[in-house]
Amino acid sequence: MTTFREYREDLDRGVTPAHTLPALPSYAVPLQGNRAGFVSRAIAACIDVLLIFLVVLGTVAVIWMVSFIVQPLNAQSDALNLQQRVPRVAVMILYGYGLNVLYWTVFWATSGRTVGNLVMGLRVVNRKGEHPSWVGAFTRAVFCTVFPIGLAWSIVSGANRSVQDVVLRTSVIYDWVVGIPGLRRSPTWSDTPAGPDVTIGSRDTTPLQTAAEQGEAT
Amino acid sequence: MPGEVILVTRPVPAPAPTPLEALRVLLASTVGMAAGTAATMAALAEQAIVTPVANVVNASLDRLVPVIADAVIERIDLTDLVLERVDLHRIVESALDSLDLTDLVIQRVDVNAIVAEADIDAVIDRVPILPLANYVIDEINLPQIIRDSTSGIAGDALNTMRRQSAGADDLVSRIVDRATFRKGRKLDAPGTPESLS
Repeated sequence: MTTFREYREDLDRGVTPAHTLPALPSYAVPLQGNRAGFVSRAIAACIDVLLIFLVVLGTVAVIWMVSFIVQPLNAQSDALNLQQRVPRVAVMILYGYGLNVLYWTVFWATSGRTVGNLVMGLRVVNRKGEHPSWVGAFTRAVFCTVFPIGLAWSIVSGANRSVQDVVLRTSVIYDWVVGIPGLRRSPTWSDTPAGPDVTIGSRDTTPLQTAAEQGEAT
Repeated sequence: MPGEVILVTRPVPAPAPTPLEALRVLLASTVGMAAGTAATMAALAEQAIVTPVANVVNASLDRLVPVIADAVIERIDLTDLVLERVDLHRIVESALDSLDLTDLVIQRVDVNAIVAEADIDAVIDRVPILPLANYVIDEINLPQIIRDSTSGIAGDALNTMRRQSAGADDLVSRIVDRATFRKGRKLDAPGTPESLS
């Protein structure tokens, strides 16, 4: 059992209080920060590709429906003649590829996670452990979209790295996010300084008022 | 037995004292009697003279000393005198050494009365309530309790899927590593995961 004095000494030493840590299952803690393997990454990629495929199908459906506004039915036209009312398959494939690049670029550059990564608890980081830059995310997105088989290198790589990771010096790590990614945690009571002279919770301050705000107020 | 010597004591009548010795004994007895008589007379004289005088002197002192002492006390500052002349630290330390203050307070002091009169609000204002609350939350592991009581089926399924996929990653890695005679993989990545920061 930790005494209150020891607890406060830990806080002074910069130890993160347990209640501020995300709610991770105990078995997941050792995994966090390690490079993910092929299976998790392949499932995440499949989820992303499936999502893009559904968006492409949805786009086709919308275009098909809009076509009836642009070109209403008449005696000569056929409602089921898709070739006249939707783009060609090659165009839709190109559209899907482009959408995939855009999707991966935006999500990797902003949070490091796509929907597939979020589901599988993965995150893409650069060589510094941070989110990839926009250029880096775009380059990686293009590389992954054009050469998806590069992921298979993570099976034999000594560090679970795909071809894209080796070339671009990125990593995909286990990072089981809890909560909404990209949103900073709101100030909590634990963010305020601890000590006998603190004014936390006093009549003059609200509980969620941070130390910085108190400083500005005074 | 030949050569043995036996000694036998016989009472011998005391010789008659010489005239000089008789005179010395007589003088000693006379002087002793005179000394005893003188001591007795002195004791009687002391009892007869000294005791009444002592009574008179004591009665006089009983009347005079308080008056003189009062007069002296009025003319001097005892506080200053004590402060200047007395080693108060020694006295206090000696008193503290001989006392069990804790026991004294427990027996003599009504702590409840003191607490009843104390300004509890002022005490609470000085207590770091929120760090204390956070300490309690950490100590009882409240997040884990909430997580265990509120985690839904979806969350459990998600964690299970992540765990199984991570297990599959490990399995694939071990199979490949065994086939390629590799002794393990370097999985450390730069940075700190958001889930632990």
